Amino acid sequence: MTTRATRTKGTARPGSGARPGATTRTSARAAAPRRRGRYGAPAVLLAPFLVLFTACTLVPIGYAVKLSLFTEHRSGLGFGGTETVFTGLGNYTRALQDEAFRDGFLTITQYCLLYIPLMTALALVLALLLDSALVRAKRFFQLALFIPHAVPGIIAALVWMYLYTPGISPVLDVLETLGAQPDPLGHPLPAVVNMALWQWSGYNMVIFYAALQAIPREVLEAAVIDGAGPLRTAIGIKIPLIRPSLAMVGLFTVIGSLQLFTEPMILHNTAPGVTSTWTPNMYAYTAAFERGDYGLAAASSVLLAVVAAGLSFAVTRATRSRSERAREARA
Amino acid sequence: MRSSAFSRRRALRATAAATAVALSVTLLAACGSSGGSTSTATAEDGKPVDLLFWGWAKGTKEVVEAFNASHPNIRITFEEIPAGNAGGYAKLSNAVKAGNAPDVFNVEYPQLPDFVSQGAVQDISKLVGQDLKAKYLPQAAELTSLGGRTWALPLDAAPQAFYYRKDLFEKAGITVPKTWDEFRTAAQKLKAAQPETRIATFFPDDPTTFEAMAWQNGARWFSTSGEAWKTDLTGPETKKVSAYWQQLVDEDLVRVQPSFSQQWTASLQKGETAGYLGASWGGGVLKSNLATTPDAAGKWAVAAMPSWDGTPASGMLGGTTFAVSKDSKKAKAAVEFAAWATTTPEGIKARIASGTSSTYPAATELVPTAAKAFNSDFYGGQDLYGLYAHAADSIKSGWTWGPVMGLTNGTVKDAFGKVAGKTGTIDDALAAAQQATLAELKNRGLKVAQ
Repeated sequence: MTTRATRTKGTARPGSGARPGATTRTSARAAAPRRRGRYGAPAVLLAPFLVLFTACTLVPIGYAVKLSLFTEHRSGLGFGGTETVFTGLGNYTRALQDEAFRDGFLTITQYCLLYIPLMTALALVLALLLDSALVRAKRFFQLALFIPHAVPGIIAALVWMYLYTPGISPVLDVLETLGAQPDPLGHPLPAVVNMALWQWSGYNMVIFYAALQAIPREVLEAAVIDGAGPLRTAIGIKIPLIRPSLAMVGLFTVIGSLQLFTEPMILHNTAPGVTSTWTPNMYAYTAAFERGDYGLAAASSVLLAVVAAGLSFAVTRATRSRSERAREARA
Repeated sequence: MRSSAFSRRRALRATAAATAVALSVTLLAACGSSGGSTSTATAEDGKPVDLLFWGWAKGTKEVVEAFNASHPNIRITFEEIPAGNAGGYAKLSNAVKAGNAPDVFNVEYPQLPDFVSQGAVQDISKLVGQDLKAKYLPQAAELTSLGGRTWALPLDAAPQAFYYRKDLFEKAGITVPKTWDEFRTAAQKLKAAQPETRIATFFPDDPTTFEAMAWQNGARWFSTSGEAWKTDLTGPETKKVSAYWQQLVDEDLVRVQPSFSQQWTASLQKGETAGYLGASWGGGVLKSNLATTPDAAGKWAVAAMPSWDGTPASGMLGGTTFAVSKDSKKAKAAVEFAAWATTTPEGIKARIASGTSSTYPAATELVPTAAKAFNSDFYGGQDLYGLYAHAADSIKSGWTWGPVMGLTNGTVKDAFGKVAGKTGTIDDALAAAQQATLAELKNRGLKVAQ
């Protein structure tokens, strides 16, 4: 009885029309509708999300899984129509056995190894500079560095393609008059990394900068009193304290990298080195729309999703223990 | 007091739920298809038949407008989609899969068997009479009949042609090459005279140009024997062509640039590329690509494709057909439209008068109409269609496109990228495509002749 009273009291919120006095008086009668009310409100508030989540995420995933278990068969010359047959995990084995699909993951790995350290370092240095006393016009720089992220990926890719194309690009023209022979389209990996750096460094810098702003000022003052210079403060105090942000950015970047598609797809038309199966996403696209093999496309997409889920889980776990360690260090 | 509080809350809850439902319904509707063509309207009830048409060929909008103006019984709604390989085919096969395909759509000869094999195309044999079929160039018509049935109506035949800069050729003292040997000599002379200029381009992104060259030399990449497919991408006729082009690339006698890219256009504008090995439709493309280039007009001319032995020979590079989708219940009206667009003077005139198209009609009796409608000032008034007509007659018959052309071309294209990067050869690309094609044929359950 006591527990129920406290519980009901706990749910009474300002403006809900219920007063504590009324609750105790009619607690026995009100208990049932109250409880319904307790679940009703969350249900109503969650409903839009759940409906959309089901319709736009769960159902398509279910459909993809279903597609991935079937394949289309023809006979003879193939002009007599198709027949959909169940193939179990056949599409999955075909995807995994295909060297082109595995090479896609290799591309992503190389991309991550090059991109993540560069991007994190750049964003972190920019954030630390903004956070230090050295920089004037902070707001301007913050905005200016963030603007590339506001440009839609596909437009950015088109602009960069223009800048990469010899004979048209003003940048390459200048470099050529200086005697250099740059060939960005011949080296697609750095070309794509460069595009991603341009687009994402500013965004992640804002995340780091926000985390830096949240560091208690007295900690920094204490460091200064102990004789730490700006560099020492940055390396010894600030970076360890924003580790959770670093980990979060790392996680999002890895997941984002797995889905690399727009930029290489645009480059595919001009850079001969970017094949139609350069990344796993492009592999799925090609399977569906160039080969008309929806089963294989669905299977490779599901495999990609499983890898992404596995990676997120691994990174989240690694991060949690690290942030806990960081908290201990702070305490 | 309490009851009012409750009812207020209930009302609120109801509103919230209603909003949520309404929201999700709108969103779901937005996710779903934008309406298919399932109605079975016929002209019998006095109302015109509505047809949905997807295409991208130049001048199509003008053709549809002219058709609608002269045909009160059929009303075409034209939706322009991206060119086939630029995403149009993806859109089409998706629509077929989703069951909301247009009634009639454009598909190029190489992709037609693929679409038929996917079950996207309707058999229109019964609606295409012998007299209609007889109007088309036989080499084009044979590409639209597969397994003894008719699947599409050809819009254009696309004989090969060589476009070149008269002034640059004169400056280097070369005449138009008639054979491929002369072509190589001309390439060397041109490069010697103007070190920054090349005679033509190897397109690493476009297998079809290379395929047309192989076709010209008598190769047959695909053929059928009985109910089984034969695949031959690495035969001697193809090898001769690949060895020739490999040498041109290795000796830096041709430019290596993606087709119709900004790079390619820029090098044409600067006179760094003096020729273009294309097809009949290339005349319109070249003209519109260079429309804004000062002094380009009047400098270009067209010649027959060089051949191996000096006698005229041609393959076919691309070319478009009209196909009716599998589930359309308005095939009769669709065929009527397609026949009008491909075999009547009005249909062809409307397309070419748009100014951007140099389509060579597959219905040969319309060639004079097309020639009259095409403005050839850009080519110094040269009679392009007379030249195309000779080339069209020399198209070798017997070529068949394979049923997995998307994969075949995709594999060639990926491997041609290595030719551009000097890490692979044309022969490697053909071998890879042969292997991948055979594997895909088996995977689809098609019979392969040993």
